[in-house]
Amino acid sequence: MTSAFAYPLPRSMVRSPLALRVLCLAVLLASILAIMPFVSPFFYQASTLPFLLKYVPVLGLLGMGQALVMIAGGPGIDLSSGAILSLVGLAIAALVAGGTPVPLACLAGLLLGAGLGAVNGTLIAFLGIPSLMATLATLFVFGGLAVAITGGVPLTGLPASFGWLGQATWAGIPVSLIVVLLPVAVLLHVMLTRTTIGSHMIAAGNDEAAARLLGVQVDRLRFALYVLNGTLAALGAIILLSWLLAARPDAGMGFELLAITIAVLGGTHIFGGEGGIPGTILAILIITVLQVGLQLANISPAWQLGIVGLLLLGGVGLNTALEQWRSRSRS
Amino acid sequence: MTSTSEVTGAGAAASAPAAAWRRAILRSPTLEREVALVLALAVTILIFANASPHFLTAGNAVQILRVSVDLAVISAGMTLLIIMGGIDVGVGGILAVSAIFIGRAYQIDLPVPLVVLIGLSAGALLGAVNGLLCARLRIPPIIATLGTMYIWLAVLFLVIGGQWIAGLPRTLGPLVNGSVFGVPAPLVVVAVVYGGCAILLYGLPFGRHIYAIGCNETAARLAGIDVVRVKVTTYALLGGLAGFAALLYVTRLRNVEINIGTNLALEAIAATILGGASIRGGVGSLLGTLLGVFFIKVIQNGLVLAGVSSLWERVIIGSVLLLVLVVEAVRARRGRSRGAPG
Repeated sequence: MTSAFAYPLPRSMVRSPLALRVLCLAVLLASILAIMPFVSPFFYQASTLPFLLKYVPVLGLLGMGQALVMIAGGPGIDLSSGAILSLVGLAIAALVAGGTPVPLACLAGLLLGAGLGAVNGTLIAFLGIPSLMATLATLFVFGGLAVAITGGVPLTGLPASFGWLGQATWAGIPVSLIVVLLPVAVLLHVMLTRTTIGSHMIAAGNDEAAARLLGVQVDRLRFALYVLNGTLAALGAIILLSWLLAARPDAGMGFELLAITIAVLGGTHIFGGEGGIPGTILAILIITVLQVGLQLANISPAWQLGIVGLLLLGGVGLNTALEQWRSRSRS
Repeated sequence: MTSTSEVTGAGAAASAPAAAWRRAILRSPTLEREVALVLALAVTILIFANASPHFLTAGNAVQILRVSVDLAVISAGMTLLIIMGGIDVGVGGILAVSAIFIGRAYQIDLPVPLVVLIGLSAGALLGAVNGLLCARLRIPPIIATLGTMYIWLAVLFLVIGGQWIAGLPRTLGPLVNGSVFGVPAPLVVVAVVYGGCAILLYGLPFGRHIYAIGCNETAARLAGIDVVRVKVTTYALLGGLAGFAALLYVTRLRNVEINIGTNLALEAIAATILGGASIRGGVGSLLGTLLGVFFIKVIQNGLVLAGVSSLWERVIIGSVLLLVLVVEAVRARRGRSRGAPG
């Protein structure tokens, strides 16, 4: 696949692995979209679009958060984001059921998400516990709390008006995608590519020691990113809650693994220093298009799992291959 | 293989096996953790014994052993892997696929030794695939094993669909339910597996290669260790143990169901870390891991007997894990001179 691109590509793109990555993902997405009508004749119906895009906002928020945590290095990973999503959803549902106005409950939920993220951030950035161990432990605690407090029973009783954010569509596009995901994605992209915070993140991920010597507050930066990731998970919880009008204690179970898959497939280096928002968004689109397409074609959901696995391995394998190819073409 | 005496690293420096054993036991960096775990286990047992008259009985002890044995077997392999600086978050998928092979082999009436062989080699083969992905293609272990887990789960869904493979024979029953000279069989199984792994880890050059790779992979390679081979073997070993755990699981429950093996990897990793291993590699303890497994299983069993919802089990395990990590981190911070790189 890579050798076909060897000549037509401008040199700047060869130098920038991320641009190449985004191009590869776009080609992959285009070819999947081209194949889909043959898999299912229903794929290009107008009614498919809202269905297709419904999954994107929640997964997108978690995937982008995960990507940012990874980019800043350490190595950074957050296994607990799905559990944070579950716990925040329950908290908001409980508050609303207790008579709190919905906006206030959502605000409290966002604060809770940030707080839970701050727990991760403290453990990892300030205490120096490897992120995988720290967030494995908080995954157990947060996810366990969500199930234990509720006894495993979903919380319902949210007002139907709250469903607007997660259920309404404008011209076939879910409101949550336009109102939440798009602005957040643009904001994070600008943060990553146009601000000092972004260059500090990439510096910290590439060479921590050098970044420290240059005066980057690596620990504070990483702490802030875990807080951000918790907040994004809380935002995802609000959208999911509004979509389903019920808070399930296991709502976010398994989302953390999907979020990691999306981040890595989108070109984020698992050890940091590399990655971006456009690639992450493309990765989410690829995964949802595949899922919805296979569902429409009535192909067993098992294939979706298998394909996600293949994409993940293929994505990282592609990274390695690209790296080797670039180092060859440079010499 | 080159002489291993040139390979030096934490807990792996001694050349004579006897010295290695002595060092492993007396100067183990994880000794403190093991003692702490024994104390924690004792306190937990005391609390549960007070809460329920049925907890501290021989029957219940054997019951705990029986349900611990699959996790214990897998955690032994996970310990070797984590010491080597690797990890396998998809070992539950390996167990699931091995269980399918075992179930199908039983269904077509293959002789028991062949069933055992199929189960073990299926697991080892899947583990070796992980090892090759990590070592040859240089895919980070967490990604490689996550990816293969999705694929194995797909296989599981596709093969057994919505149905269980049920009604399997209990020909291997003695392995879980029997006893040898009055010693419950699960205890014997655990002793054999952990004894074997201990010999591998502390008594053979292979174990020192594992430590060396976990401490500094580049140095290990430069010292002449065939890193790829050691890695693939260790991943395959964990896979083989997962195949063995699948045998025990199928023997115990006599069916293969769709959610087999979920949570297993995370529990095994939790037990291993609880037992003193570091995800950074180079440190770990088989004894600590075994204590960690018992700790998890005692809590699971005790909560049920004490009448507390078993849903709290994950909260408790997570909190203990968190406590251990924080205490260790704070002590490491205090012990380190200011400004030294972490």
